[in-house]
This record gives sequence, structure tokens and C-alpha cells, in this order.
Amino acid sequence: MNPGNAKHEKKRLENPPAKFKLRIQRRQNEGAEVYWETFELPYRRNLNVISALMEIRKDPVTADGKTTTPPVWDMSCLEQVCGICTMVIDGKVRQSCSALIDDLLIDSGSDTVTLQPMSKFPNVRDLKVDRSRMFDHLKQVNAWIELDGSYNLGPGPQLSNDTAQERYAYSRCMTCGCCLEACPQYHEDNYIGPQAIAQARLMNMHPVGKMEMEDRLNGLLGEDGITNCGNAQNCIQVCPMSIPLTRAIYDTNRDITINALFGWLKK
Amino acid sequence: MAIKFSKTFLLRKLHQLTGIVPLGLFYFVHLYTNSTALNGPRIFNEHVEDIHNMAYLLFIEIFGIFLPLLFHSIYGLLISGEARHNVLSYGYSRNWFYLFQRITGIFLFVFLLFHILNFRFGLIPGLNMTPVAGNADQAYRIVAGEFQIWWVLLIYFLGVIATGWHLAYGFFLFAVDWGIVIGEKAQRILLQASLGLAVLLSVAGINAAMAFVRPCGLLPQVLCEAPRVTAPATRHV
Repeated sequence: MNPGNAKHEKKRLENPPAKFKLRIQRRQNEGAEVYWETFELPYRRNLNVISALMEIRKDPVTADGKTTTPPVWDMSCLEQVCGICTMVIDGKVRQSCSALIDDLLIDSGSDTVTLQPMSKFPNVRDLKVDRSRMFDHLKQVNAWIELDGSYNLGPGPQLSNDTAQERYAYSRCMTCGCCLEACPQYHEDNYIGPQAIAQARLMNMHPVGKMEMEDRLNGLLGEDGITNCGNAQNCIQVCPMSIPLTRAIYDTNRDITINALFGWLKK
Repeated sequence: MAIKFSKTFLLRKLHQLTGIVPLGLFYFVHLYTNSTALNGPRIFNEHVEDIHNMAYLLFIEIFGIFLPLLFHSIYGLLISGEARHNVLSYGYSRNWFYLFQRITGIFLFVFLLFHILNFRFGLIPGLNMTPVAGNADQAYRIVAGEFQIWWVLLIYFLGVIATGWHLAYGFFLFAVDWGIVIGEKAQRILLQASLGLAVLLSVAGINAAMAFVRPCGLLPQVLCEAPRVTAPATRHV
């Protein structure tokens, strides 16, 4: 094991139970009534939440012996780089592929793991949510760089190492939605949230992207804009990719103070 | 493309600004005036009278205090209503501070309403009925009389603690929201300074309140010996 990665050190149950429970918040379709079902599973070493859900899928019978529909959830990469399996596990948002049953049982001190869909996105069914609003937010802040022209623009200017490092950190965003789920200011259309602000910052730091900075700032000056940040700073705590989200917000605050709020002083 | 501000953006910036100037500035002046009670009733009443004699007093009171306070508090309540608190799931210190800022804000809305009616206007039934405004010579007596009631004193203790927190953390929030302090380390230092200021303001506020209960407040009386008056006091009735 990598000693520098002690934070992610796997914990092992000393005396693992023979069985453990998964308590799942369910819903048949969007808008339908929410209900809970508990499933009992035999304990196995190295189970994660997704492999436990796959066990249930084989034979979807609840702990009370009732046959039910298999729970629905999203998954893809299974190595915490795609972000699609994000859900609320024991009250905290994270990726279910990297959530190990041993860790969860040790942390909660109980024999039950509770699964809920993220609460800030439309709940499609069971643990599956529709996160397309994050894509809408990217469009709102022009999170891209205009390159198409009538002639070849040639290679872009070189970046300093520091800038490249910081941009790389922002570029790691996998649009999982953890920051928005944990943000107390983010719900419905109240606030655009740290995810889009960080991507706007990523593009604003690019020497070519900088030319459309005003467009991106305009995307952040609306009714749901960056001023709705409440500085609870949960985003940076829950980000699984360790993206300096708050730095993106405060750097953008400075851009806005200089270019937008006091921009008229340059006129 | 030109920059376009939304209504929300401008109101938020105005909310952040009014909290620091004029309200924050006013609080320092207010706390200073209260603290002069440490030097005795006469000195305190003189300071109140000096305020009464200020030029443009009515304009300062309306445009420098009442209107900014009304805007800051009502818009602050609207902002507080937006929050979906989750400190039980995400118990990080900044998340708690986010909650405290809103709790102290809501408490201060009620407290200030009480405080202004109680002392500025003397309109709370069953309590003081003499407005301090216009009665500078009775200012100390009015406040000291109210502070004989234990629960009134307790409300004022809570009021100055909530103000100390809300203003000191407000300085921090202003600095980060206007992009003045950006980096993680710089924010940590500023946060510590803000928490220190919150404690300082709270202690100074409690001490000023205690000056109306016992001479020199919580301090040993030797520190508050009234300055010797060389000429007879002529300015006072």
C-alpha cells in the first residue's frame, strides 16, 4: 500500500458479522411515492456497495421475505473516475463503487448501510438521478474555448507550470454532483454551484479562453449566479477528485470584482 | 459582450457592503460610546449628548443606520430562507459557521427590533418608557434601570455576542466574496483573526453592558478611575 495515501487506507472488520443489511430508499418513477426496503446479505470480504447491490439484483427478496423489483442504480467505470454511481451512503454523498462495506460498517458501528439517491437532482427511479442540469450549467457559463475561425490560429501561448497544474486540477471534474449535493445553497435553480464555476475558471485561465472571459462571467452574474455562494465550503470537503473548488469560486470573485463590478472605472 | 448584472447580483453585493459600511462601522462607534460608561454615568451621558449634537444627525440616523439596517436585515432573512442546512451530515467547521451566521442574523433581527424600541423610542410596554433620544441627561439611568431586570440583561448579553460573531465573521465573508482573500492559507489566517475579533467584540460588549450594573464593569475599579475634573463641568444640566 502507498504510505502517502493513508487517508484511503482500507479498514478491516476484526470480527465480521455473518450477515449485514442494506436499507434502500426506493421510488418506482419520477414523482411516485418514496418507500424504503431493507435487504439482508451474507457478509463477504471486500464487498463494495455496488457488488452488494449486484448480489441483491440476483435474487431481489427483502429481509421480510417479500419478493420485489431489483433496485435500479447507475454505474460504469467502477474505479471512481466516471462519477455516475454517486449516491448518498449513510447520509454522505460519494461514489458507491469506492464505498467499501467494511469501512461503512466500522464508521457507523451498526450492521446496516443506508442508500439514498442524491436529493438535489430529479430522482428517475430508486437510486438513479437525472443530472442533465449540470450540463445545462456548463452551457450557461460557456465552458469551452472558441477555436473555430477562418484561418489557422497556430499553437496557443505557453502556460506557466503553476497555471498548468491548477488547470489540471480543475480538469479532473467528472461531473458527479457531490459538490452540489453537499452545498446548502444549491437546490433547484437557486444557485449554479461550484461545478460550473470551476469549469468556467478552467477556461478563463487558458490564454485563448481568457478572450471570452466576459461571456463566462455573464453566465455567473445571473439570478442563480456566483453571489449565491454561502461559503459553507462543503464542496471542497466532499469532492472525490480533490478539486480546489473554493479557490475557483474566490478567484472568479476577484475577476468579477475587477472586471464586472469596477469594470466601469476602466471605461 | 458587455457585462450584465442581475438584480440578485447587485442586491447581494449591496447586502455584503451595507454589513461592513455603514453597519459595521456604526457598531464600533456604538460599542465605544457604551464603553464610556466604564468611566461613570456623567462621562457616558456626555458622550450621548455629543451624539445628539452631531451635525446632520437626522440624515445620518436615517440614511446611515435605519435604511441600511432595514435592507440588510430583511434581505438577510430572505438569504437565510434559501439555506438547506445539512450540518448533521456534513459537520465541517465552515458549514457550522454558515449556520451560525444565519442563526445570529435571525436572532439579531428580533433583538434589534426590541433594542431600538426599548431604548431609542421607549415603546416596549412594561419596560422603559423614556426614549434615550432627546434625554441624554437620563441615558445612563434608563439603561441601568433596565439592566436591573435579569432577563433583559441576558437578552443584551446574547445580543452583543451574536453581533460580535455576525460582524467578525461578516468581515471574513466580505473578504472572500469580493475576491480580496483567495488562497487557502490566507483564508485560514483571516478566519482565525475573525474568530479572535468575534471573541474580543463579545467580551467588550458584555463588559460595556456590565458597566451599567457595577462601576467599571467586569474590570477592577482601579482601571476606571474617573479623570480628575480641573474645571467645573459646565456643559451639563
